[in-house]
Amino acid sequence: MDLSLLQALEREKVLEVLQRDKTLRSVEEDRIRRLKLELQELRRRGAKSFCRQYSERTCARCQRPLGKFWNSGAVCRGCSHRICSKCRVCVSPHEWKCTVCHAYRDVKIKSGEWFMEERAKKFPRETDKHDTIGEILLRSYQRLSYIAIVPPTPPPVQNVFTPPFNRLSSWKNSKGSPKPFTKSMEDLMMSFTTRIKKISKSQEDVRAEPDLLTVEHGSIDRSQSDTAINISANQVPCFQSLFKRSKEQVQERRRSSSALCGDEDTSQSSGYSGEKRGSSSSTSTDCGLIESSGVTGELELALAYSFSSSCFEVVVGACRNLTHGDTKKKKCHPYVKVYLLPDKSQSTKMKTAVIKNTTDPIFQETLQRSIARELLASRTLQASVWHSETLRRKVFLGEVLIPLDSWRFEDSSTQGLMWYPLCPKTEQPQGGSVEQVAGELLLRVKFSSLTQICKLNSTGIGPYEVGQFTVVIIGVQNLSSSKHTSSFIKGCLALPGEREMVQRTPVVKKGPSPAQAHQLTFSRVTPHELQDASLQLEVWEHAPFSVADKLQGTATLHGGLLWQPLQQAPNVWHSVSLPLRANINNRKP
Amino acid sequence: MSQFPERFSAGSTMTDGDYDYLIKLLALGDSGVGKTTFLYRYTDNKFNPKFITTVGIDFREKRVVYTANSPNGTTGKSFKVHLQLWDTAGQERFRSLTTAFFRDAMGFLLMFDLTSQQSFLNVRNWMSQLQANAYCENPDIVLVGNKADLADQREVQEKQAKELADKYGIPYFETSAATGTEVDKAVVTLLDLVMKRMEQCVDKPALDAQNGEGTSKLDAPPVNEKKCAC
Repeated sequence: MDLSLLQALEREKVLEVLQRDKTLRSVEEDRIRRLKLELQELRRRGAKSFCRQYSERTCARCQRPLGKFWNSGAVCRGCSHRICSKCRVCVSPHEWKCTVCHAYRDVKIKSGEWFMEERAKKFPRETDKHDTIGEILLRSYQRLSYIAIVPPTPPPVQNVFTPPFNRLSSWKNSKGSPKPFTKSMEDLMMSFTTRIKKISKSQEDVRAEPDLLTVEHGSIDRSQSDTAINISANQVPCFQSLFKRSKEQVQERRRSSSALCGDEDTSQSSGYSGEKRGSSSSTSTDCGLIESSGVTGELELALAYSFSSSCFEVVVGACRNLTHGDTKKKKCHPYVKVYLLPDKSQSTKMKTAVIKNTTDPIFQETLQRSIARELLASRTLQASVWHSETLRRKVFLGEVLIPLDSWRFEDSSTQGLMWYPLCPKTEQPQGGSVEQVAGELLLRVKFSSLTQICKLNSTGIGPYEVGQFTVVIIGVQNLSSSKHTSSFIKGCLALPGEREMVQRTPVVKKGPSPAQAHQLTFSRVTPHELQDASLQLEVWEHAPFSVADKLQGTATLHGGLLWQPLQQAPNVWHSVSLPLRANINNRKP
Repeated sequence: MSQFPERFSAGSTMTDGDYDYLIKLLALGDSGVGKTTFLYRYTDNKFNPKFITTVGIDFREKRVVYTANSPNGTTGKSFKVHLQLWDTAGQERFRSLTTAFFRDAMGFLLMFDLTSQQSFLNVRNWMSQLQANAYCENPDIVLVGNKADLADQREVQEKQAKELADKYGIPYFETSAATGTEVDKAVVTLLDLVMKRMEQCVDKPALDAQNGEGTSKLDAPPVNEKKCAC
């Protein structure tokens, strides 16, 4: 179910409704959080710890001593604790519950948890029982709008992961409270675990990496994983590293672990990755080779691009001669995971099913991802093979990196299955003007015709009419190198005939994700010229006390396909997000 | 903002979380039976005779005070209920979108037009759609025959509709969004059903455990418990 079947106006209308629903939902989530906190508070007050055994004969709720013959208390059917007569709530003439069990029941009703549970019974396959259809639609639309055209109103850019996290935090303590868990508390635990599962989208991931759930461990891994991704994003196939061996056992450990972590779900931490990320030079050593198991074998892939549906397709055929993931037991349960680097977000991850017990798995799976053709040129296909075993860390079995900038998707001869040798995690090439992803640039672009007033009826703009091309920089995300510096953005529109137009924004003083809202206007441009134009945007770090400003990253916008929507829908804002590449050579603005 | 939470009206700002329950109801039925006007009458107590087709989905909100009748007959407590009333497009081309929303609703207002035999015949189809897409096999539904004020154009007899409702075991109301007849009653009846369902759902596992064979709950208490004579 998606919104692509609707007409643009209808879609806008529906999205508006969904937005309203989202507001209502966030109010509701706040309320539920409050309810659960209250419940937790109540339980903590009446918590009977393990060290005070039942022999003491006190009421589990108010801790008052219970007599042997009178006021001896009775066992609550909900939690199996002995409860004095004052801490009971009558549900019916024959039935009562202790205050906590009653409050728990109350929360279950008031929070709508009962509904989620009922629904989960009917649709057990659904990944998240808390998701509403509105939420799913909004999210899928956001993903769609990331690569496609967006209506004039800015799309919601809120973190969809926030609600589950908040819910989790309110439940975290309930796990730790020392309290005998019986029936109703088991229910609590159940809902706690289901919440955890929700964080890592697939349940399989959770089982495979249980230590991800521990807090201390997680925080370290997270920060490392960010760096690992940052670096692995720039890997190029490097065959000689296949034969390299790391010297020190200790270092090897560290590397393999960081590389493993680099593969984990990072979407949650991406929000503040800029803070955690160290300098790239200091972490580049962390991402060396993984030689915990030597990489052997080949991977069969076919790449294609469907121009009609703007869909990138990878056919994962098979693997042969893989190394054993579990070298001791000689076991291997491989699967293939595909990213379009530098994008390593969870939402765009593609992976095959796990094939059990083979080093020559046959997948024959087609993985798809909708992405604009012109964005593909800046991507590198990373297909990595992993060994997956329940309750174990995943083991890296090798990867293939294919830069897509020169891939000829238009040529059908490139679409056949081909064998690629698997490589180890490649070492970070040292020095040089290596392109590095430094963040993301969010833009909105518009082409407006100056003659629009007299031509209201015409749908498009003629190819030779002069118009104005406007770029609004909404923000720079995850800018890695600068912490709290001021920056400005320079835009250079190169038009055919060696015509160049340069514009720059004022200096903005802000943190790693400066929220810019500056406009670059290039006037006297014809749509015809735009066809072959390219826009280079540079993010510069402004150093007030030094002569030279430092270039932090560049992003380029070019290609006929991108300009097309601008022409077809003039005077309308289009959202674009571009990967920012860090350029090592210093240049002057 | 919410200094006086006890005063509810449809016009008040309903952006705060000061309520006890969020109940999501959904109106469904053929195109033109009056789902939108029905909900508009319920939330705003107004009538709009113009036919504006709903695009996909929409919802309206209303806060009401619900007084529960506690099982022992005494007057129960009052709760603040925030109603989210989903309005769906009856048109066929939105079908996949609207049915997707069935899974998030706790109760359903299945509507047909008393002046249209066809819309009544389609109730069966809507019922099977509900069975397939709603959160459970037998969700709470109220059958609503709308446009009761147009007596001279009536095509569906009350007896007919009542029989169908009885067959499904659901309440039936003849309403008029134009005059407001029975509109409130239909929604309140549905709300009542949903409120009762909530209680049942939460208490049912406990009852099952009580009646079932050796339950963990009764066996679980520590050994010390058995020494207790009382």
